[in-house]
Amino acid sequence: MNGLRQGLAVAMAIARKDAISELRGRQAAGSTLFFAALVLLLFGFALGPDSRRLAEAAPGLLWLAIVFGGLLTMARLHQLEADDGAFEQLALYPVDRRAIYAGKALAGAAVMLVLGGLLLPIVAILYAIPIGTAWLPLLIAVALGAIGFAAIGTAYAGLTVRMRAREVMLPLLMLPVVAPLLLAAVKATAASLSGDPLGELGSWLQLLVAFDVIMLVVGAGTYGFLLED
Amino acid sequence: MKTRILGFVALAAVIGAAVNGLFVVPADLNQGDAQRIMYVHVASAWIAYASFGVTALAGLGYLIRRDLRLDALALAGAEVGVMFTAFAIWGGMMWGRPVWGVYWQWEDPRLTTTALLLALYIGYLLLRRLTDDPARRAARAAVVGLIAAVDIPIVHFSVLWWRGLHQGPTIGDPSKILNPSAPLQFVLALLAMLAAFTLVWAYLLIRRYQLARLEWQLEEDARRGLVQTARLALPGAAAAEEPAR
Amino acid sequence: MTSAGFVLAAYGVILGGMGLYAALLARRLRIARDTVRRNNVDLPE
Repeated sequence: MNGLRQGLAVAMAIARKDAISELRGRQAAGSTLFFAALVLLLFGFALGPDSRRLAEAAPGLLWLAIVFGGLLTMARLHQLEADDGAFEQLALYPVDRRAIYAGKALAGAAVMLVLGGLLLPIVAILYAIPIGTAWLPLLIAVALGAIGFAAIGTAYAGLTVRMRAREVMLPLLMLPVVAPLLLAAVKATAASLSGDPLGELGSWLQLLVAFDVIMLVVGAGTYGFLLED
Repeated sequence: MKTRILGFVALAAVIGAAVNGLFVVPADLNQGDAQRIMYVHVASAWIAYASFGVTALAGLGYLIRRDLRLDALALAGAEVGVMFTAFAIWGGMMWGRPVWGVYWQWEDPRLTTTALLLALYIGYLLLRRLTDDPARRAARAAVVGLIAAVDIPIVHFSVLWWRGLHQGPTIGDPSKILNPSAPLQFVLALLAMLAAFTLVWAYLLIRRYQLARLEWQLEEDARRGLVQTARLALPGAAAAEEPAR
Repeated sequence: MTSAGFVLAAYGVILGGMGLYAALLARRLRIARDTVRRNNVDLPE
């Protein structure tokens, strides 16, 4: 019990530290948001001016933008520490590795949630889709997607951060793994936007929850092995 | 030596099963000759899944036991598995064109799942190449292998649902071949092919494992500077290349 | 392409691929064995 409380305290401390450094480095976080918004704008060019087609594709485009922005976010959260050697010190702390993982994943999920939350209105404006009535299921989908992405992203960023060609390797390893998350999140978003006529929203949200739980368990269980190497 | 015998047995078995599948078993009434592709396609897919199971279990074993031989086995499983995954996709495409009219059928959950499988394990192999230290490489690879393995069922279910949550299986589902209604001859031909592929699989796994152990030996040698001392053999070079320990 | 052509392409690539991989493995094994032997010949360890 005591160990659990201590672990939670460590996780919260790490999450707060990451969130603060992310906020202090406003430029980096701002650029990520700008990049993701730019991706949304370019999708508009790529798919042409047909507004109905854009509205149909909007859920997929939103999530691709979140995924691209998320890749940058995950890499940065680990990169900051690796650059000044703080990563090695983190690995030396005599605390549960799972607590370190939980803290990092929490910070990642929080940043991703903010990113997704800000991208939602941008998508609504750019592609002319009404999100007003569906904001609650949309936010739930974004939150679940953010948690799952951060669960994988934390493990894989910790794995690639001290590797050669990490800029390529992080997306290359992560994208196939998050494919089911992307699929479920897009489906859940589309179902929320259309008022869920087929009653499938719940199933997709359940799939997202399952993905999140499984990946958090695996990530927490294996992160220690990545730190100690 | 025993491995060599296994190799010859596997070769004979594959030739036998292929001759059986191509010439002995009659063509399917609906699909015609294209159905013969199913034997190699399904066998490849099963072997691919078995390979990735080996990779995941060996990786897990490495994390527990810290034995680099288990890592060599994990590598062997991944490399052989990638090859059989590619075969399964190729077979599926060659079957899909005459039967469905397209090489790539997004509606088919297996094809889509298999494509992601290929991407997952190509990433695994690339990751191994980019890490030099054997212990570090083994630990990273084991984690990636585990995450990939738990991802496979999620991918499968998500793609299955994606076709339509309330929709039954489409016609031409590959599993139809194993239905009780399928003629016994077809089932036996598939089982024979599977047995032959399993023998080939065992042979390739052993050979790749042996190669991985030798490659590890070479890395060790290089680290000790033995390569230079042996190759250069210049006067004084041996002393200069002597590893500082 | 006829149905038989696709069958041939499938069997050819899959069986041929396995053979090619086996041959490549044998080659790499031979080279690796030779190199290991060369590296460790008459070296006082």
